[in-house]
Amino acid sequence: MLIEFVLDGRSKVNTYVQLVQQVKQALRVGLLAPGDQLPKVREVAQSLAINPNTVLKAYRELEIEGLAEGRPGVGTFITASLHREALVNQAELRAELVDWVRRAQAVGLTAEEVTALVATTMRATFPASVTKESA
Amino acid sequence: MELVLEADGLGRRYGGTWALRECSLRLPAGRVAALVGPNGAGKSTLLHLAVGLSRPDAGEVRVFGHVPYGNTELLAEIGFVAQDTPIYRDLTPEELVIMGGKLNRRWDATLVRTRLAQLGIPPGRPVGKLSGGQRAQVALALALAKRPRLLLLDEPVASLDPLARREFMQSLMGSVAESGTTVLLSSHILGDLERVCDYLIVLHSAEVKLAGPVEELLEGHRQLSGPRAAGARPIAGVAAVVRASHTDRQSTLLVRADGDPIDPEWTVRDVTLEDLILAYLTDDTVTRASHEAWGVPA
Amino acid sequence: MMWVAWRQHRRQALVTLIGLAVLAAVLVPTGLAIRGRFAELGLPQCLRQDTETAECVRAFNQFNSQHDTALLVGILFLVLPLLVGLFWGAPLVSREVEQGTHRFVWTQGVSRTRWAATKFGLVGALTLGAAVVYGLGMAWWLSPLVAGGGRSRFDVLFFDMQGVAPIGYTLFAVALGVFAGTVWPRMLPAMAVTLAGFAAVRVALTVLARPHYLPGREHTTPLVSTAGLDETALRGAWTISNGIRDGSGAMVAPGAQVICPPGATAPTGGQCGAEFGAGAYNWVLYQPADRYWLFQGIETGVFVALAAILLYLAVWRVRRIA
Repeated sequence: MLIEFVLDGRSKVNTYVQLVQQVKQALRVGLLAPGDQLPKVREVAQSLAINPNTVLKAYRELEIEGLAEGRPGVGTFITASLHREALVNQAELRAELVDWVRRAQAVGLTAEEVTALVATTMRATFPASVTKESA
Repeated sequence: MELVLEADGLGRRYGGTWALRECSLRLPAGRVAALVGPNGAGKSTLLHLAVGLSRPDAGEVRVFGHVPYGNTELLAEIGFVAQDTPIYRDLTPEELVIMGGKLNRRWDATLVRTRLAQLGIPPGRPVGKLSGGQRAQVALALALAKRPRLLLLDEPVASLDPLARREFMQSLMGSVAESGTTVLLSSHILGDLERVCDYLIVLHSAEVKLAGPVEELLEGHRQLSGPRAAGARPIAGVAAVVRASHTDRQSTLLVRADGDPIDPEWTVRDVTLEDLILAYLTDDTVTRASHEAWGVPA
Repeated sequence: MMWVAWRQHRRQALVTLIGLAVLAAVLVPTGLAIRGRFAELGLPQCLRQDTETAECVRAFNQFNSQHDTALLVGILFLVLPLLVGLFWGAPLVSREVEQGTHRFVWTQGVSRTRWAATKFGLVGALTLGAAVVYGLGMAWWLSPLVAGGGRSRFDVLFFDMQGVAPIGYTLFAVALGVFAGTVWPRMLPAMAVTLAGFAAVRVALTVLARPHYLPGREHTTPLVSTAGLDETALRGAWTISNGIRDGSGAMVAPGAQVICPPGATAPTGGQCGAEFGAGAYNWVLYQPADRYWLFQGIETGVFVALAAILLYLAVWRVRRIA
């Protein structure tokens, strides 16, 4: 098995959304690449003790987003990558963000206030669907 | 959509009291359905009617379109694990596997052996000497060996410790993924249900209070909070108030939405499965009656 | 299904078999010893004679004083059919329901009717086998004791211990237990009902019905006679009632029999037997000895029929237990 799913029991995020997010995260950090097989539905359902329909739904969602492809009788395979160029610049962006957070600290914002500011800015800047999913 | 279980006006009486009354249900194929309610709500009665152990006193129940009572052929399609997983305690798992083979025309002995081997269950020890969790696993394996199209489980994890409960649910979900069996399981433990079930039936005082796909039910209900005064008028976007509680100034409502936007005077929150079940299980008339019975003000 | 029934009852079968073996281990040596003694004392010849010689009377007395206690032991065996009913019959269905296993076995691919037929059939067959061995064994064991005691094998208790009647009782006890278990699906109440029901039916039939399976025969002897009571017709017969009737046939002294030598006088004075009125005679109502096997057959038939009805009702009940 290439990746193993973990569920956050306290999270209010739908179980299938958690699965989708974990696959995407693995794609972003390069843990999964096109051609890789996702864990079998039975394995996921059994190890997490969740409804197999939930797993199917998550995999279908990935198919709809064009990230994966189901091959009947074999399994579901990754077809696209999220390991994009944009992410190559992550280090640079991160450095800028650190600077920004330091400035926020300097003017007396608490960690909570910084998070709130980021969240509202995200909501205002990104399209609605993206923020909902990453909430 | 293929229906696995249909009930119409189904009722069953024990002595003078109805254990189940006016029960109408449609369970579609491929679902893992939870049958939820307090003890004595009629869960076991409904399952016993579905597996043909008892005969309806009113209405009818059909499984795959057939009446289950006295229908041996239909029984081959239904796997059933009764409450407290009763199996012959002086027999060994090995003997129970043979027994199942003698009692059923379709019997996958290899499946059940593989399963019990994976779970590390000793084949030669009498079932009565196994732990509760192991016994439940044996009962489940025996039910699955029939390769049933419908699996009925009556409080399968009620008497198990958390670890055994999780292991049981793991095997159950694994085999559902493998076989595509429709499952109807009764439970009064709400914790596990949200991840496991995609269909919900709430029973209370012998009646069906709520039934439907979990996703639709969650989508169709909202939790509202707002000023108490606002609760007196009809609220835009609300089809029915399921449960209301009030303080001097504030009202908190769990409502069934009608799809229109909800009156902006109210703060709207999504509901969890647990909120929803509890809202439908709380019965105000019962508490009122019991206050009267005890002679204390409500 | 047969495998299932056998697997569930093999231990019971084994226990029963051991029980029968123990019984045989007791009965065969004692039976042989009793028979040996019976022949040694010359009792077979005595039985063939019509008149009683002094030696024969002495021999009979000796034999009886030695073996009467053995006979009491034999009476204990009367309860054996009941035990089979309690431990084989009553738990058959009630144990399943009490432990909830009926919900397992009745939801497999075998109909309840077939389940009931196989289980009842197996238990019935094993019971039948055990009862036949027991009934015929007891008949062999008892025969010298009965004959030596001057008793009739037709008498109450002796009749019930041997022959084919115990087969009927045993089947009935088992069927009653099974049926009770379907009505009171807990083991102890089912056993209690079996116990009470079996005792009630056995006593009622023995007292009220058995004497009337066939109309009894009457045997009369005059009060005044030189020959004494002529009892050849009554040898081995079952006396149901007796007494002295007067000339019009009315019963004047129930349970009494009087023989007056001609010319004898009563202690009160007057002629012996005169107090019973003119034309009075000794009267006996009896079932003749040659009806023994017929009565055994009728008794067995009645109990087998009752057992069949109970089993039918039990199957009917099984279909309705949830």
